[in-house]
Amino acid sequence: MSTSTQEIEKLIGQDYKQGFVTDLDADTFPPGLNEDVIAAISAKKKEPEFLLEWRLKAYRHWLTLKSPEWAFVKFPPIDYQAMSYYSAPKDKGDGPKSIEEVDPKLLETYKKLGIPLAEQERLAGVAVDAIFDSVSVATTFKEKLAEAGVIFCPISEAVQTHPELVQQYLGSVVPVSDNYFAALNSAVFTDGSFVFIPKGVRCPMELSTYFRINAANTGQFERTLIIAEESSHVSYLEGCTAPMRDENQLHAAVVELVALDNAEIKYSTVQNWYPGDENGVGGIYNFVTKRGDCRGQNSKISWTQVETGSAITWKYPSCVLTGDNSVGEFYSVALTNNHQQADTGTKMIHIGKNTRSTIISKGISAGKAQNIYRGLVKVLKGAENARNYTQCDSLLIGDKCGAHTFPYMEIRQPTAQVEHEASTSKISEDQLFYCMQRGISAEDAVCMIVNGFCKEVFKELPMEFAVEAQALLGISLEGSVG
Amino acid sequence: MSVQFKEHYVSQYSALQASLPGTGLPWLNALRKQALDRFSRSGFPSPREEEWRYTNVAPIERKLFSPFVGTASVDSASLARYRVDGAACLVFVDGQFNAALSTVPEPGEDIVICPMGEAMEKHPDLVEKHFGSVIQRESSGFLSFNTALFTDGALVFLPEGMKIDCPLQLLYVSASPDVLSTARNLVVAQPGSQVEIIESYVGLGDAGYLTAAVTELLVADDSYVTWSKLQSENGRAFHFGGLYADVGPNGRLDHSSFSFGGLLVRNEVHVDLAEASECSLDGLFLATGRQHVDNHTRIGHRKPHGVSREFYKGILDQRARGVFQGRVIVDQYAQKTDSEMNNRNLLLSSDAEIDIKPQLEIYADDVKCAHGVTVGQIEDESVFYLQSRGVDAVAARNMLTFAFANEMVGKIDRPALRSLVQDELLDALPATNLRKEWL
Repeated sequence: MSTSTQEIEKLIGQDYKQGFVTDLDADTFPPGLNEDVIAAISAKKKEPEFLLEWRLKAYRHWLTLKSPEWAFVKFPPIDYQAMSYYSAPKDKGDGPKSIEEVDPKLLETYKKLGIPLAEQERLAGVAVDAIFDSVSVATTFKEKLAEAGVIFCPISEAVQTHPELVQQYLGSVVPVSDNYFAALNSAVFTDGSFVFIPKGVRCPMELSTYFRINAANTGQFERTLIIAEESSHVSYLEGCTAPMRDENQLHAAVVELVALDNAEIKYSTVQNWYPGDENGVGGIYNFVTKRGDCRGQNSKISWTQVETGSAITWKYPSCVLTGDNSVGEFYSVALTNNHQQADTGTKMIHIGKNTRSTIISKGISAGKAQNIYRGLVKVLKGAENARNYTQCDSLLIGDKCGAHTFPYMEIRQPTAQVEHEASTSKISEDQLFYCMQRGISAEDAVCMIVNGFCKEVFKELPMEFAVEAQALLGISLEGSVG
Repeated sequence: MSVQFKEHYVSQYSALQASLPGTGLPWLNALRKQALDRFSRSGFPSPREEEWRYTNVAPIERKLFSPFVGTASVDSASLARYRVDGAACLVFVDGQFNAALSTVPEPGEDIVICPMGEAMEKHPDLVEKHFGSVIQRESSGFLSFNTALFTDGALVFLPEGMKIDCPLQLLYVSASPDVLSTARNLVVAQPGSQVEIIESYVGLGDAGYLTAAVTELLVADDSYVTWSKLQSENGRAFHFGGLYADVGPNGRLDHSSFSFGGLLVRNEVHVDLAEASECSLDGLFLATGRQHVDNHTRIGHRKPHGVSREFYKGILDQRARGVFQGRVIVDQYAQKTDSEMNNRNLLLSSDAEIDIKPQLEIYADDVKCAHGVTVGQIEDESVFYLQSRGVDAVAARNMLTFAFANEMVGKIDRPALRSLVQDELLDALPATNLRKEWL
């Protein structure tokens, strides 16, 4: 018992490897938030008129709201006037048009993070949009995507090149008045990815965005909008890291997905923001609103997330199943260690007939962390034959952590079939002993068992991400098992 | 508006103060006063409170209820169908103990069974020692309301190692219109004792009224308490019933709740478990018309090796709305806890609604906790099977609905009680032409 415990604890105590800071000349706004700052952001981005108004409307609404307190997380009040709402690496001229023009220091940062943008041109792999603090620095594979008719670009570019699409869809899934952080994001968002898949197109490659917070005292507010027209298909990945700092930084993103008839969107996240040190100092507050609207018939939206980072994670990727026969899926692994807190889950709103949803959530809690699953399954009156299956399992490692489940089910349709299962367990001594007796070290055994616990979710991830996620899990677990 | 009902109840308290049980006891007066202050500040709970998000008690605030003054007359025959054969019975009419209708057992060997009014006079020390010891934190407006205004209730005290052979029935009858029935019960089972209690709520007449009953139950080491609650209020009644139980080491509580009546109903069961103690909570709720039935349970595993089992079933027809909230909390030191919760619901109409919130809050790692919830309708295959055997579709559905509910009734050990609950179930089931003789 004691030997394995110690070894496991050693294993869980690894360092955050993405915690470096890149020394760059940055163009950063002074801290503070008011209508002038919003106008300045809008001007910086050369946005059309409607967007500025939309931002101001969101800001004015935000001022009337109070920070929500219902989540099972604790953090001191955030001073929204103390942070900067815009930070961009300084560049000469109008910004990078191709990878050759990008600041080599930046490219090196991404190389350290394991996304060599330059190499990607050669390796026929994944198209990457990299977002550094407030701006998008490079988008790869633009030409090849354009051939297929796919638009994949920073949202700040999309508002200039495709304003009609942005105007039509922006805020149509997550309205500015949706919640506190969504309203804030709508007012001050600085960049994000924009994806448009035209009718009948199957996106020829995986699309991916890499988010990085670099500058101190800034908040990152990105906005992602993905539109899949009739009978199209896209798979989108996002990854995130941040430097190690003692103060907390806010990340309040909004992601909107729209799937029209027969379209399918698969959205995968590996979230590895800096989680703070083992005493709970520093780390990112990850307060994100993600929602997909299955607007068309037979459409499908699938969320897969691996949440290992952030001091506090607070996000509920949701599916609004409006179209008949539409499908929503949510696969999640949330790992919390040390003083991390995660309050995460999903909402499945069944509106159309024969809509189906699946929720698989795996929470792993170690150290002094609190891991919460919070989910809502709502079946409205018109959602005949709606079907939901929910499974949320928790794994506790150590006796000082907590794992909680708060599912809500609101059913107004007698033909609906809703099932919910939850269980809580720990890694048993027997399991560990069995592995060790077969010559597997304690660390590897724990990793193996945890990976097995998460297998149902990992198998939903694209190949490259699945490998990364498994490795990440091993690192994040270091020093936690008891 | 909202001020009006608070003022009404404050003035009711002032008017009744002299006649309330235990009015000569300073500690109780202080307690009532505090509770009244709390109530006049907070009022009844609002749906903004997380624990009440699916139940809006505003209709209760819109009407003003008053405790009954005088002696209500109830025909003994009208209560016959609610009495459990072989049980001693304490009858409370409109919140007041009625000796003529009751059969109080001969209390032998220090066993105390008496109405609260009498208890305050004869056993004030006993009451003072235990009163309020389970409900230390009054979490809801109804608790403060009850503490301030309770007009009667039962005191049951079992000394160490005592066992009461016959079950004890507490029968609460509401007969007058707009009456407020506030019963407060205190049941203390000392180490190694054993008792079976049946709590029934009955409404005679058609007018609306409010029942706000609270029970504190202390199950000491190695004791065993069986508790059944049968709620058959009338169709216009508002009902709040809360059981707050503390179970000592190796103690056991078996609770089952059958909720059929009432317009707006909230059943609460709170159990805190000590080392190696066990509880099982079973429940069946059935609602039709515009009924709203909320079942709220909380099991707190405070110490290691506790075992809890929970199984609730709900049937909702027409425009009824059902709520089930099951909360299981496992404290940091409650290792080796074993907890299971199950909730199954049947929706029979497209206007019915069910809201479910099973919650697990776990702070210990070496535990086994699981919960499962399902919502569905009667399977077409089962109906088809019966049809192929010559049963028409409507009858088949009724049979299957009954069978779904009867699983919970079948768990009752005592035949007299089982038969009584089954009668109530058959009455409450929508459009059944099932006859008891066929079963």
